[in-house]
Amino acid sequence: MVQFLAQTFVNGINVGALYGLAAVGLSLIFGVMRILNVAHGEFLMVGGYIGFWLFKLYGVDPFVGLPLVGIFLFLIGIVFYKVVFSRVAKFHEEVKLKNSLLIAFGLYLIFPQIAMVLWTADERAISPAYSGQAFDLLGVRFGYVPLAGVCIAIIVILAMYLFLTKTYFGKSLRGTAESWKAAKLSGIHIEWTFMITFGLGISLAGIAGVLIALTQELTPFMGMPWTLKALIVVVLAGMGSIVGAFVAGLILGIVEAVSAIFMGPYTIAIGLLIFLIILVLRPQGLFGRA
Amino acid sequence: MLEVNHIDTYYGELKALWDVSLTLDKGEIVALIGANGSGKSTLLEAIAGLLPPTTGEILFEGVRLDKEPSHRIVEFGVCLVPEDRGIFPGMNVSENLELGAFSKRGRKEKEETLHVVYGLFPILKNRRNQLTRTLSGGEQQMLAIGKGLLSRPKLLMLDEPSLGLAPLVTKNIFEAICQINQTGVSILLVEQNVHIALRVAKRAYIIENGRIVQHEQAKNLLRDRRVIQAYLGTHYA
Amino acid sequence: MPKNWKSFFIFGGIIALLAMLPLFTNRSDVLTWSCLTLQYILLSQSWNIIGGYAGQVNLGHAAFFGLGALTTRYLWLAGLPFPASLLSGAFIATVFALLIGIPAFRLRGIYFVIGTLVLAEILKVVIDTRFPVASVLPVETLLTYSLLPRYYLSLMGAVLSVIAVYFISRSRLGLGMMAIREDEDAARTSGVNILQNKLIAFAISTFLAGLAGGIFAFYMVAIQPGYVFSPIWTFDSVVIVFVGGIGTLIGPIIGSVFFVLLKQWLSLHLPGGLHLAVFGVLFILVVLYMPDGFIEAIRRYGKMVTLGRKPMVQGG
Repeated sequence: MVQFLAQTFVNGINVGALYGLAAVGLSLIFGVMRILNVAHGEFLMVGGYIGFWLFKLYGVDPFVGLPLVGIFLFLIGIVFYKVVFSRVAKFHEEVKLKNSLLIAFGLYLIFPQIAMVLWTADERAISPAYSGQAFDLLGVRFGYVPLAGVCIAIIVILAMYLFLTKTYFGKSLRGTAESWKAAKLSGIHIEWTFMITFGLGISLAGIAGVLIALTQELTPFMGMPWTLKALIVVVLAGMGSIVGAFVAGLILGIVEAVSAIFMGPYTIAIGLLIFLIILVLRPQGLFGRA
Repeated sequence: MLEVNHIDTYYGELKALWDVSLTLDKGEIVALIGANGSGKSTLLEAIAGLLPPTTGEILFEGVRLDKEPSHRIVEFGVCLVPEDRGIFPGMNVSENLELGAFSKRGRKEKEETLHVVYGLFPILKNRRNQLTRTLSGGEQQMLAIGKGLLSRPKLLMLDEPSLGLAPLVTKNIFEAICQINQTGVSILLVEQNVHIALRVAKRAYIIENGRIVQHEQAKNLLRDRRVIQAYLGTHYA
Repeated sequence: MPKNWKSFFIFGGIIALLAMLPLFTNRSDVLTWSCLTLQYILLSQSWNIIGGYAGQVNLGHAAFFGLGALTTRYLWLAGLPFPASLLSGAFIATVFALLIGIPAFRLRGIYFVIGTLVLAEILKVVIDTRFPVASVLPVETLLTYSLLPRYYLSLMGAVLSVIAVYFISRSRLGLGMMAIREDEDAARTSGVNILQNKLIAFAISTFLAGLAGGIFAFYMVAIQPGYVFSPIWTFDSVVIVFVGGIGTLIGPIIGSVFFVLLKQWLSLHLPGGLHLAVFGVLFILVVLYMPDGFIEAIRRYGKMVTLGRKPMVQGG
C-alpha cells in the first residue's frame, strides 16, 4: 500500500513538473504583458511535433533536440508577437486583455487544423531506444525519461528564476510587469521587452511540448487541454508568479494522480471543478496576495 | 537647453494642451503652476514622450524630442518622476534604483550615482532590501527622485513631489531638490504647494485650461496679488 | 415612425419569403443549408445577448447548447412529445445557467472568461465519460424523417431569437446590460442591479442556446453526446457574432449567412477541417482591423456612397 501510494506520488510529480513548465510560460507572458495567451497549448503542441520531426526525420536525440526546439519556438514566438500581438499591445489594459484573448482564440482555431495536415490525426510520440527503461528504488519505479523530464523542468524554471531576479534584463521584465509607465520612464524599451518575453514564454511552451512527447502522446488537438491545465496552474499560483506556478503544477499533478485512483475517468473533471471553486473563492490565486 | 515650441496634445479626441511654449536654461529651476486638470502633468508627459504632441516641436540641446520614443528620451538625459512616482512597488529599493540606471547613459556611472543618492537620502541605504510598497510616502518620494537621478539626467522633471507628504518631509525633499540643482541638474517642477515652488524656482509659468497664461520671475509672482489669491490661498496675502 | 415600419415590412417580407422557400425548391441541399443558417442565427444571437449586449465573454456557451440538445434528444426518444422535449431542454439549460450564474458572475473580466471555458470543459468530460455511445434515431423515425418540419422549426427559432434581441436592445433591461458592458462600476453607481441584470441576460441567452441545441437534436440523425458539448459550438457562435458585428441585431444574421456559405464553399475546396483555420484567420483579421464587424463596414460603405453622391447633387 505504501509502495503503491509512493508510486502514485512519483507519477504525479512526473506529470506535475510538466504542468508547471507549461504554466510558467503562460504566467510569464501574462505577468509582463497582460496578455492571456489561450493558444499557449497550441505552441506547446508545435514544440512537441518539431521535436518529433527532429527525432523521426533526422534521428536527433530528443534531449539534444530540446534546445533546438527552444530556440526555434523562441523565434516563432517573436514572429507571432510582431505579426499579431504587437498590434494590440499598445491598447489600454482591459481592451488589450480582451483583444489578445480573442486573437489567441483565433489561433486556437487555426493551429490544430494545420497540424492535422502536417502530422495527421494519428497519435505520435518520441520514443528513443531508452524510453521504457527504469530503475527501482525501495520498490518504486523511476523511469529514466520522466525523471530527466522533471530535472529539466526544474533546471529551466530555476534558470528562469535566476534570470528574472539576478540579471539586469530580467529585472527590467519584472519592472515592466509592475508598471509599464514606470518602466518606460526608466528608459526600458517596452516593445523590445514584450517581444523577448513573448518569445521566452513560447519557447518554454515548446520545451514542455518535447518533454510531453517523450512521456505521453502528441495529437493535433492536445493544445486546448494543455492550455486549460496551464491556466489552472497559473490561477492556483496567482497570475505572474514563476516559482509559485511550478509548485502549483506539482500539486495539480499529485492531486490528479491520487484522485485517479478513486475517480477514474472523472479525474479531469474533478481537477477542473476544484479549480473553478478556487477561482470563485480566491481569484488572486492560492499563493497570490489579495 | 529645453525649448517647447507651440505644442498641441490630445488624449484621444480631447485636446489637453493648446499652443504651449516654454523654455528652460541650463541649471535653472522652473516651476509650472496651475489648478488640477490644467495640463501641467500632460506637458511633462509630452516632454517625456509618454504622450507625444500632435503639432509643434520639443527641442532639447538642439535635438528634436517629440519624434523620439520615451526610452530614447531618457538616453538624451531627460527624466520624469511622475505624480504616481514611477517606482516598482513589488521590487525592493535597490532593484528600483538599479532599474533607474537601466539606460546606457545611467549604467555607465551607476556606482558613483548610487553613492550620491545614498548620500542625499541615507534612509534609502538602510531600506535597500525592503519592498517598495512597505515604504512610507516620504521614503517612496525619495526613492522616486533617487531612481530618477540614476538615469544621470541633465533635466529632471518632478511632478508634485510633495503630494501627500507631511510639511517636514516636504521640506527635506525640497532641500534635496536644491542640492540636486546645485550639482548642475536643471529642474522643471510641477507643484501644488505654490509657495514652496516659487521660493525654489527662478521663473514660473502659469497654465490654465491647457494654455500658458503667464510667465514671470518667481519673486515677482510671489508679490502678485492675483496669483496669490488664485493659487496661494488668501491667508498669505 | 416610418423608418421603423419600413424595417418591420422588410423583416416580415423576409420571413414570408423564407416560409415559402420550400414551395420554390425541393432541393435538399438548399434546404439543409438554410436549416443550418437559421440554426446558426439562433445560436449566435443567443451568444450575442450575453457576449455582445451584456459584454460578458462567455466561452462556455457549448455547455448550454449541449444540455438543450442532450435533454431534448433523450426525452423525445423516450416518448415525450417533441415540443415538450424541446422546451424541457431549453428549460434545463436555463436552470443550469442560473445555478452556476451566481458564483460565475462573482468573476469579472478575464476570470469570467476562464471560468466559463473551464465549466464547459468539465461538462464535456463528464458527458463524454457518461454517454460514450452515439444516439441514432430509431428506424421508424428514420423512415418518416423529413427536412420540412426541421426547416420550419429552425425558422421559428431564428425569428424568435431576432425578436428577442430586438426587444432587449430597446428595453430598460438592454440599457442596463449595455451599461454593464461599457463600465460596470459606473453602471453600479447609476443604480443598475448588476447581478440581477447579468442573470436575466444569461437566462435568456442560455434558454435560446438550449433551444438551438434541441432543434439541432431534432435535426440530426445521429448524435455523439460529447460532440454537442464540444467547444466548437462556442467558437462558431463567437466567430459569427464578431465577423457580423458584435452587439448588433443584424450582425449575427449577416455573420451566419456568410459563415455557412463560406463553410460550404471552403469544404468543397479544402481538405478536412482546414476551413476552420480559414475562419481563425478571418476572425483575427476582424478583431484587429474591423472590430465592429461586417455590419460596420457595410454601414461605412453606405455612408461613403451617400456622401459621395451629395457633392454631385450640389454640383448639378
